[in-house]
Amino acid sequence: MTDAIVVKELVKRYGSLSAVDHISFDVASGECFGSLGPNGAGKTTLIRVLTGLIRKTEGEAFVSGYDVTKQADHVRRAIGVVSQAMTTDLDLSGWENLDIYARYYEVPLKARKARIALLLDLIGLASRAGDLVATYSGGMRRRLEIARGLIHRPKILFLDEPTIGLDPQSRRVVWELLQQFRREEQLTIFLTTHYMDEADLLCDRIAIIDNGKIIALDTPENHKKEIPGSDIVDVTLERDDTNEGIETIIAEMETLPFVHQVIRHSGGQESGPDVLNIYSDNGAQAIPVLMERLQARGMKILAMGLKQQTLEDVFIHYTGRSIRSEGGKKVSYLIGAGLPRRWGN
Amino acid sequence: MMRVWAFVERDLRKFIRNPLAMLSTILLPIVYLLIIGNAFQGTLKHLPLAVVDQDHGPYAKRMSDRLRSIEAGPNTIRVIFEHDPAFAEAEVRSGKLKGALMIPPHFSRDILRGTGPQLGLLLDNTDAVAASALNQAVSGALAFLEVDSVPIRADLKAPRVLPLELYRRIDYDASIVPGAVIMSIFMGAMITGAFNLVMDRYLGVHESYLSTPLTRRDIVLGIMISGVLVTTLVGLFVLGAGIWLTGLPVAGGATSFLAVLLVIVLTALGLLGMMCIFLARVDHPRIVGLFGGFLNIILFFPSGAVYPIESFPPWLRSFTRYNPETYAVHALKSILFKGAQWDAIQGDLIFLGSFTLIMFLLSTGMYRRTL
Ligand SMILES: Nc1ncnc2c1ncn2[C@@H]1O[C@H](COP(=O)(O)OP(=O)(O)OP(=O)(O)O)[C@@H](O)[C@H]1O
Ligand SMILES: [Mg+2]
Repeated sequence: MTDAIVVKELVKRYGSLSAVDHISFDVASGECFGSLGPNGAGKTTLIRVLTGLIRKTEGEAFVSGYDVTKQADHVRRAIGVVSQAMTTDLDLSGWENLDIYARYYEVPLKARKARIALLLDLIGLASRAGDLVATYSGGMRRRLEIARGLIHRPKILFLDEPTIGLDPQSRRVVWELLQQFRREEQLTIFLTTHYMDEADLLCDRIAIIDNGKIIALDTPENHKKEIPGSDIVDVTLERDDTNEGIETIIAEMETLPFVHQVIRHSGGQESGPDVLNIYSDNGAQAIPVLMERLQARGMKILAMGLKQQTLEDVFIHYTGRSIRSEGGKKVSYLIGAGLPRRWGN
Repeated sequence: MMRVWAFVERDLRKFIRNPLAMLSTILLPIVYLLIIGNAFQGTLKHLPLAVVDQDHGPYAKRMSDRLRSIEAGPNTIRVIFEHDPAFAEAEVRSGKLKGALMIPPHFSRDILRGTGPQLGLLLDNTDAVAASALNQAVSGALAFLEVDSVPIRADLKAPRVLPLELYRRIDYDASIVPGAVIMSIFMGAMITGAFNLVMDRYLGVHESYLSTPLTRRDIVLGIMISGVLVTTLVGLFVLGAGIWLTGLPVAGGATSFLAVLLVIVLTALGLLGMMCIFLARVDHPRIVGLFGGFLNIILFFPSGAVYPIESFPPWLRSFTRYNPETYAVHALKSILFKGAQWDAIQGDLIFLGSFTLIMFLLSTGMYRRTL
């Protein structure tokens, strides 16, 4: 079986900025492939190049066996796309949005009707199908867009932050929907996300992207194995502006036998408290010792906790910062990704 | 074709759910018709003219009577009698009056003696059109005066003009009905068609359909079809309203209607195609507004809708040869006013058809199918 997506040394530059910087990877048919990265990492740009919405600068990319630039038409027929920005028509009803979209793919009437009914049911919008999308909540609109991406039975579905702005229950609905279509229609999925749990749950493999580059690519399990130690002790300390005390204590802690590594970050806030992630094989045993050391040094502990490692920690491990640490955009699912203007071509 | 129709339907549905846009497309051209029709009457009316009679003789009286009958008849002037020449002059200078006629003392005596009678006419010649109309009215009145005092027979050999009207008379406001229809087509083409593509781009909604198999041709064709459906309806509506408001008698019947319909459809398509070209890469609605106002002026006024093309300077006249609205106006006027047959509007139809085709091909090529 040929690979669903093949990317070789792909580059997309905006002026001097390389939004996608020599990226290479393959996605097998039927696989769910995730790309995980902070704001501005280049995830949306990568999806847009792969779906023919913007032109690459260099390198090669094949989707469903077709070149994304030279055979864009064939690519478009094989794929479904759920973009980061909300793109359903507000002046049309949910049903009309789906129906018109299906006709862009020339899905015949009968198949269309059945498919729309099925999808509306799965996303829980059957009873609101006749209402204008303008009257939907953000989460309802998002679910409708995901259904729209599946309307023509695509072979490959691209999703750019599919569950952004959804409540936990709706997120679960979407995850189940995607898993169902993978099972039943051998759907290949390429998704980007900020959410570690989402990537962990859905993806067979995850590429961690930062500054336009893949910095790690593996299964979720292997990613987690990358991190020394199975537990993480999270310590929040009152901010120390002198910086010296904390650096010494990190160095000291790293000499302890049960501590593998200590990573310091600011928990996502600019001038927030210091957060130390202490990677250990046995967190429960480490806690009292760590506490004693910190207090001996006069550090004020605001909070301390023990957790199993997650992909978030993997991300911190690779990049040395939290995935949300760039702040800025939170849940801007109405506007979503910036639209390319001058650099569009 | 299923793709194109889906795109057409999307557009129409969105349009129907925006009644304000629909209403203004219909209302604005009608208001235009009413304003233009009443503002530029074919001839000027009610120009205020002061008459200062310092003579009080029989000829001064006769002159005043003539002017007053012009006031009552063709309505060109409104006569205001003044005593003080200085005051009358000040009123002209201030713009309250368009002119002042000074009848000097001894005017009647000079006529009787034949010693060069003179009238003074002060004109606000910054308003050239009004000034020349006043001049004509006063000369006309004066001519009457002389005809009265000169034996009629002496004048028999002078050549006379007998106007022969070829068609039934069309009032000025009725004569601009075709212009109002063309303007409504322009406005329809402006707010449907390419404007919707610009809005999609502005809202970022185009991202959704650019990743589907819709081709550029599907998109441009779809947008032109939905645009022409709406615009044709608007054009017909404005035509109907224009006929009703101005009492324009319509010649023809079914053939005329078909011909009018064809002209409207072709004009709409041509303009829609042209907008698609100009707006192919625009991504902000404000630009459409600015651009639309500009385009409307450069297409509408030199189209012959309100002023005869023949009176334009040569450079402007050569522009009118490439202006689709010129052909549309010509065709509509021929059909509506003269009950013209097909051969009279054939040239117009051929131009409009070719124009549409070229615009469509160019705009398909120019549409940017990436974000
Ligand atoms: N049209 C554009 N012109 C110039 N720079 C752009 C353009 N689009 C994206 N960029 C830049 O490319 C980089 C990657 O942007 P991209 O939208 O791909 O990030 P992302 O990973 O999707 O981020 P987010 O999580 O915020 O959606 C950013 O630095 C962004 O500023
Ligand atoms: Mg993005």
